[in-house]
Amino acid sequence: MKFLFDLDGTITSQETLPVIARLGNLSDKIDQLTRETIQGNVPFIESFIQRVNILKDIPVSLISDSLSRIPLYREVCDFIDNHRENCVVVTGNLSCWCEGLFAKIGCKNFSSEALVENDAVVKLKSILRKETIVELYQAQGEKVVFVGDGNNDLEAMRLADISIAAGLTHNPANSLFSITDYMVFNETALCRVLNQLC
Amino acid sequence: MSCSKSVVLSCAGIGSRLGLGLTKALLKINGRSLISLQLEQFSEVEDLRIVVGFQAKSIIEEVLSIRKDVTFIFNHLYFETKTGASFYLGAKDARDEIIEWDGDLLVHPDDVKTILNTEGEFICYSDITSDGAVFCKTDENGNVLAFSRENGDYEWTGPACIKKEHLTYSSNNVYNIFERVLPMKGMKIRAYDIDTYNDYKRVSEIIKNW
Repeated sequence: MKFLFDLDGTITSQETLPVIARLGNLSDKIDQLTRETIQGNVPFIESFIQRVNILKDIPVSLISDSLSRIPLYREVCDFIDNHRENCVVVTGNLSCWCEGLFAKIGCKNFSSEALVENDAVVKLKSILRKETIVELYQAQGEKVVFVGDGNNDLEAMRLADISIAAGLTHNPANSLFSITDYMVFNETALCRVLNQLC
Repeated sequence: MSCSKSVVLSCAGIGSRLGLGLTKALLKINGRSLISLQLEQFSEVEDLRIVVGFQAKSIIEEVLSIRKDVTFIFNHLYFETKTGASFYLGAKDARDEIIEWDGDLLVHPDDVKTILNTEGEFICYSDITSDGAVFCKTDENGNVLAFSRENGDYEWTGPACIKKEHLTYSSNNVYNIFERVLPMKGMKIRAYDIDTYNDYKRVSEIIKNW
């Protein structure tokens, strides 16, 4: 059994995007893009490309350092610590921005990739579609549990053997109500379910 | 004392027989929603699992206004399936012993305490009060021998407790799961289903004296 976790708002108790935006004084632009994306006016992939374009000049090392200090859900991290071999972080975020955070969480991870030169993002190399990681583990014969909260988790959760919508930081996206197996709203409930599935 | 068993509260149905266009969990009884009355009785239940379907979002909002540590389980096929499917979904990954509890059932508070503290498997029944009831046939010690649509000694109301190793799937009624593992210890309780508008009026009066 593999436990795949979304990162933002599922393992971190704060969304990472506003933190990055503040570093570059770009909160207004990012907030507007986030609003448009949540309202469905901008498709997720397009939104992600625009987001990276807005934030690309902020030093990568500054972002990674800031994100490594973002608060995490303690009980969720304890579960990951106790099942390190079977837990995987799956995030659309850029790996170069999350290096410090990944090191702190300590399990395997998959993310989007960018070319970095002189401590700045030059261009996007790949955008992670989370469902491909579900497929990857299922092809290895693993039963996959996916824990997520956003629209960009929808296809991965639909494909997973067991899906858990986690409303820890904000309510799960409306789209998840029609596909999820479980829904929880605090980390005690989430970790209880995860331990029951082990 | 906290209850070590999982409790699965089935609230996925559309309440068609009641005919108020509202899922029964949100029905106001003497000014309070049915599910809020049940949650008050489950305060010592750690692993409370609520199966939702019809009007899931509204039920979740109501529950979260009372407690946050509940696990919600979705029965997306709530229109095609009955309480057996909801209970199975709620119970399949739960603890070793699971109590099924229908979302339209109100149980006397003293009996709730007894149920939550009773060890092992059991089936609860009540005196016969409803039209169209499902009956329990019992032996001289009150053990449940069979369920029947025709006749019996008591009315099947639930709750009932089953070990996970005995859990099987049914898209039909929850008693269809329990009848596969009969005979089982029986417990007579004071419990009332709210299936029809008359049940609703009757239960509203009865619980004023609890």
